[in-house]
Amino acid sequence: MSLPILVVDDSFTVRMGLAEMLEAAGLSVTACATGAEARAALADGQFSLAILDVLLPDADGIELLKEIRGTASAAETAVMLLSTEAEVRDRVRGLRTGADEYIGKPYDPNHVVARALELAGRLAPSAPTTETVLLIDDSATFREALKATLEEAGYHVAAAASGEEGLGLAAFVRPAAVVVDGVLPGIDGPTVIRRIRFDAALRRVPCLLLTASEEEDAELRALEAGADAFVRKDHDTAVILAKFKAMLRSAGAQAGGEIAQSLLGPKKILAVEGSESHLERTAAAVRACGYDVALARSGEEALELLAVQPVDCILLDARMPGIGGLETCRRLKDIPVMRETPVIMLGDAGDADSLLEALGAGADDFISKASEVEVLQARVAAQLRRKLFEEESRLHRAQQLQRELEAAETRAAKEIAEVRAALVEELEMKNKELDSFAYSVAHDLRAPLRSIDGFSQALLEDYTEKLDDQGRQYLGYVRESAQQMAELIDNLLSLSRITRSEVQRESIDLGALARKIGSRLEQRDPDRKVALVVADGLTAQADGHLMTIVFENLLGNAWKFTRDRAEARVEVGAATSEGQTAFFVRDNGAGFDMAYSSKLFGVFQRLHSAKEFEGTGIGLATVQRVIRRHGGRIWAEGEVDRGAAFFFTLPNGAGGPGALAHG
Amino acid sequence: MDEKIILLVEDNPKDEALTLRALKKGNILNEVIVAHDGAEALDYLFGRGEDGNLRALPQLILLDLKMPKVDGLEVLAKMRSNERTRLLPVVILTTSAEDRDRLDGYRLGANSYVRKPVDFVQFTEAVTQLGLYWLVLNIPPPNTGR
Repeated sequence: MSLPILVVDDSFTVRMGLAEMLEAAGLSVTACATGAEARAALADGQFSLAILDVLLPDADGIELLKEIRGTASAAETAVMLLSTEAEVRDRVRGLRTGADEYIGKPYDPNHVVARALELAGRLAPSAPTTETVLLIDDSATFREALKATLEEAGYHVAAAASGEEGLGLAAFVRPAAVVVDGVLPGIDGPTVIRRIRFDAALRRVPCLLLTASEEEDAELRALEAGADAFVRKDHDTAVILAKFKAMLRSAGAQAGGEIAQSLLGPKKILAVEGSESHLERTAAAVRACGYDVALARSGEEALELLAVQPVDCILLDARMPGIGGLETCRRLKDIPVMRETPVIMLGDAGDADSLLEALGAGADDFISKASEVEVLQARVAAQLRRKLFEEESRLHRAQQLQRELEAAETRAAKEIAEVRAALVEELEMKNKELDSFAYSVAHDLRAPLRSIDGFSQALLEDYTEKLDDQGRQYLGYVRESAQQMAELIDNLLSLSRITRSEVQRESIDLGALARKIGSRLEQRDPDRKVALVVADGLTAQADGHLMTIVFENLLGNAWKFTRDRAEARVEVGAATSEGQTAFFVRDNGAGFDMAYSSKLFGVFQRLHSAKEFEGTGIGLATVQRVIRRHGGRIWAEGEVDRGAAFFFTLPNGAGGPGALAHG
Repeated sequence: MDEKIILLVEDNPKDEALTLRALKKGNILNEVIVAHDGAEALDYLFGRGEDGNLRALPQLILLDLKMPKVDGLEVLAKMRSNERTRLLPVVILTTSAEDRDRLDGYRLGANSYVRKPVDFVQFTEAVTQLGLYWLVLNIPPPNTGR
């Protein structure tokens, strides 16, 4: 479904001429002569494209453009401005206001229609309405015969006698299929197909290559060029038609409505000359080839224009007022996106220096201003062709690079997956090893300890009269040590279990947990009077079992180290640290020297002697493991004899370093 | 039914000595038969004595888990799958407090799971309580064996 095109021009000839051509191309057109009519039409319906004359009797085309751009319903409408004013200022103003295209009068109607099709198609992507087949063959007899066969079969046929003509037509008619002869006077059939394959807008069009019977490697060449099918020319046209239909059937499945700027589409040339008469002559010569021409009268104007409108080729006068042609060229070639645009410098005849200067400034070609018009036209065509080739090969390189990149990415992804799998396997193996190690420790290390303790006790009981006081004391030491070691083993086991266990987060009331553990501590030590103050609303996403271990250790420590206080006080709460909630357990006990704070969390690190405060030196290491497994941080503040505070964070979510690393 | 026998399944001779001592200290003077590994335990429970008869079933089995040849869990599994020993009270008495051992033990039908404390005083206390509970307080299921 394609929206109509609005044509607004006060000249009856222009209006009707464009309308007829657009309608012939299968588009519906609303033609208006004045701004008022145009406004009424715009208020009434939607358009895919508006072609506006800049100078209207009752309005300014650019004002109209502003209104279109300001209307929500028309925001999608493409706008093409037509103007007799060749002033760069007007062009720049039009393009800056939001025009999609600006074409100077006089224009080549074919060019306007081609651009109109592009612009309208951009907004209403629809498959070719009629099944147009592009037929390229240099033999008039054969061409007519095949054309007749195809038309009889219900296809609409556009015919061309050469590859160049065919490609130009392809951009215009957007064929549903192409039939091309392998051998042609200019570029041959395979090259035509290759170009079509490089063109973003055309590359999905199925192509049938016609080959001469004597070519042995015809099939190979056809497939290499990207043809979807090939057929020998000496076959009956009915056979060719059958093959053609088969190709369409198989291509039908993958046909996509891809719309893109065609490389073979209408070309825009910028002519820059200081002298008005030269400019006219150059513009006329280029326009005669069917190109659209934009005019500039100085280098500054040219640069200003190029900032808003890209062109396909630039004709640049070497000697101009202002910054001049050479400097303009240098500046142009400094702009990354402009570097690929061919620049043909126009200079004085027979002046070897100006040629060298021009090439030195980065121009792609140099021709004398005195040259024949045909020379100019041929050079422009050559530069456009070169640009096309470069774009083709760039596209080719880009595709190649893309393929290599994709292959490399696939390889890399595979390698990463393999490495990951190996790491996971290794990790699992290590965990298993650790598991069985811990299991052995639990069993085999404790059993002899029980013997040491048990038989020491037996000695004390059964042989007490044979031992003196010192002997009994020594045996007491043996038992004490065995029991201490058993406790160490138990703590180490619990530490290793934490490292291995899964963190299962749930919503936890840490305050309630602290109170529960506090009352357990009170029961265990009923003689102690400790004021436990727990703040409200201490909830976190954490593993309940692991958080119990944390509070058992932190509160246990707080209880232990406030032992000598007349009024022991333990506080549990939350503070904000670096934008995160930090929970804390604070006491007014023995405290510690901040100089040693880094040693607090190490395994077997103790800041108090066993005589002062008993302990295995594993508790805080265990707490730190738990916090790290949650992706959080833990730190401590304290002062000797002024108490200690332990802070920790529990970032929400499963992320954080603790989620992946076991440790 | 005559005397209440205790079957102690324990491979470590020192632990055996300590357990026997603990039972004595706790004044549990029942006959204790010691099997030094799982195979011996099964042999006692299902084999025939010198007189060709099946042996008297114990009132209580104290079962260690980690043993050579046939381990404690295997013994337990065999007992629970045999009609004659299916209901015998079994107390797992072991060094391990690992979750999976506890789980496996209870799953296979252990009646209790006790971890041997390192402290001998506590150990004696534990064994005494076990004996008192299972031999005195607890009323066993009606005798279905023999």
